[in-house]
Amino acid sequence: MTAYGVLRSEWVKFRSIRAMLGCLAGAVVAAGSYGYLFGMAAARDYLAAPAADRAAFDPTETAFRALVLVGVLISAAGALTVTSEYASGTMPVSVTAVPRRGLLLAGKGAVVALATLLTGPPLALLSLTLSQAALAARGVPSVGPGDPGVPGALLGAGLFTGLIGLYGMALGFLLRRSAGAVSLGTFLLVLPGMAGLFPEAVARWIVTWWPSAAGARLFAVHPGTEGLAPLAGAGVLAATVLGLLCAAAALFHRRDA
Amino acid sequence: MIELRQLTKRYGEVAVVDGLSFDVRPGAVTGFLGPNGAGKTSTMRMILGLDRPTSGSATIGGRRYADLPMPLREVGALLDAHAVHPRRTAFDHLLSLAYGNGIGRRRVEEVLGLVGLADVAGRRPGGFSLGMKQRLGIAVALLGDPPVVLLDEPVNGLDPEGIRWIRTLTRSLAAQGRTVLLSSHLMSEMALTADHLVVIGRGRLIADTGLEAFVRSAARQAVLVRTPDAPRLASLLREAGAVVRPGAGGGLTVTGLSGAEIGGLAGAHGIVLHELTPWRASLEEAYLELTGDSVEFASSPAGAVS
Repeated sequence: MTAYGVLRSEWVKFRSIRAMLGCLAGAVVAAGSYGYLFGMAAARDYLAAPAADRAAFDPTETAFRALVLVGVLISAAGALTVTSEYASGTMPVSVTAVPRRGLLLAGKGAVVALATLLTGPPLALLSLTLSQAALAARGVPSVGPGDPGVPGALLGAGLFTGLIGLYGMALGFLLRRSAGAVSLGTFLLVLPGMAGLFPEAVARWIVTWWPSAAGARLFAVHPGTEGLAPLAGAGVLAATVLGLLCAAAALFHRRDA
Repeated sequence: MIELRQLTKRYGEVAVVDGLSFDVRPGAVTGFLGPNGAGKTSTMRMILGLDRPTSGSATIGGRRYADLPMPLREVGALLDAHAVHPRRTAFDHLLSLAYGNGIGRRRVEEVLGLVGLADVAGRRPGGFSLGMKQRLGIAVALLGDPPVVLLDEPVNGLDPEGIRWIRTLTRSLAAQGRTVLLSSHLMSEMALTADHLVVIGRGRLIADTGLEAFVRSAARQAVLVRTPDAPRLASLLREAGAVVRPGAGGGLTVTGLSGAEIGGLAGAHGIVLHELTPWRASLEEAYLELTGDSVEFASSPAGAVS
């Protein structure tokens, strides 16, 4: 067992799970369609707003809003790399091939992280392009991928999807069932969208500190002064994912395979 | 060489494997027998480091499975033929396991040929028959050309052709000097394949012996006697110290006296004999006798002959 060998082995497994294609296709559709819809909604708001509010309009705010929904599919993809092995009964076979379970988990994690890291920026670019096109079509101010702060946000989106992929994988190891890992992963990711249901103090805490909301600061083009700084937000998400990975590794090591 | 020392696995109060100690030696097929639920699979899973023993140890060549640097090159195992991802091609299934153990594509092609699956290497096992899946499982076990091979119930559900293939394969693996542990709950299959037997029941060791010795020790010698004067002969035999039970077709099954002694006794009392047949229990019977007390779910004898 070499780290390189385990990495290649996990890559062969990853590329032969067909649901990955479904997740990727779903992520492309979500990035494009929600990007466009968020752009349309922002254009309507802009055109209905008084001049004073129009001056404060930031077209980049709508650009990457779709990424939280993309994250749902990325998280599912991460979970499936693990739960597909439990569902098909191949986990014991994998563990006999690589009995050092920490190495097995690390190999899987490296493949998931790399694949989801690389899909983030193109998806973010798609969402940006369609949302800005929706704005521009109505004569509303818009930005392009080369505008100040935008390239950084595109890279930040990659970091975000990479972390979310690992988050899904960790849930897969913890819960071992596709339905459980995917639905819990989705619920926890979109919770900030339901913050309005909570008392105001709780809601404010959620939109600031909840890991998926904090991580979303990674693709804020103009972070402003409200909420966490992009790197602090990334730190919150990364620490959460690391905690989940440690729990996953401990349980994977202890449980019978 | 596989060595088990006081290997134990408990789930709460229940001991699935209970203080099991035995060795599996190279150059022979060791049959691992026991009724369903006897703990065969649990034992194999502990040897492979999948389940953690509650106490005791299982080592391969003196090392724990988890400490083997390239495990597939030292131990090959087939636990469950259904354990394949239905959409991952046979080739990719093997390749993913090969890469982790420093084994290349050429060996993957080689084992696919070895088990007769070369033509379906690019197909998805979702549509494979049980026999084909079994062959794919064997290909996994042979991938690293390992000196130790563990096969858990490899003939279950196979057609006669598949059963014969497994039998020939395991015999040839042992002939090459490998250590082969083959589990089954079918004694008849073991009689044709194994050199050595390890029999367990309820997680405990019942027998660890050569095939021949197993039959000799377990089988009671008996003599089937047929006579028109059965009640009289029976009482004479009992007086002589034999155990007499009603046998098949109105005859008597006699244990404790040899055929010659029974014939002599009958002759001395002028009793006509129609049949006098020394009878040896088959392997199946010897096995059932041994494990009779340890089956998990025994059925009550239906329509017992009296």
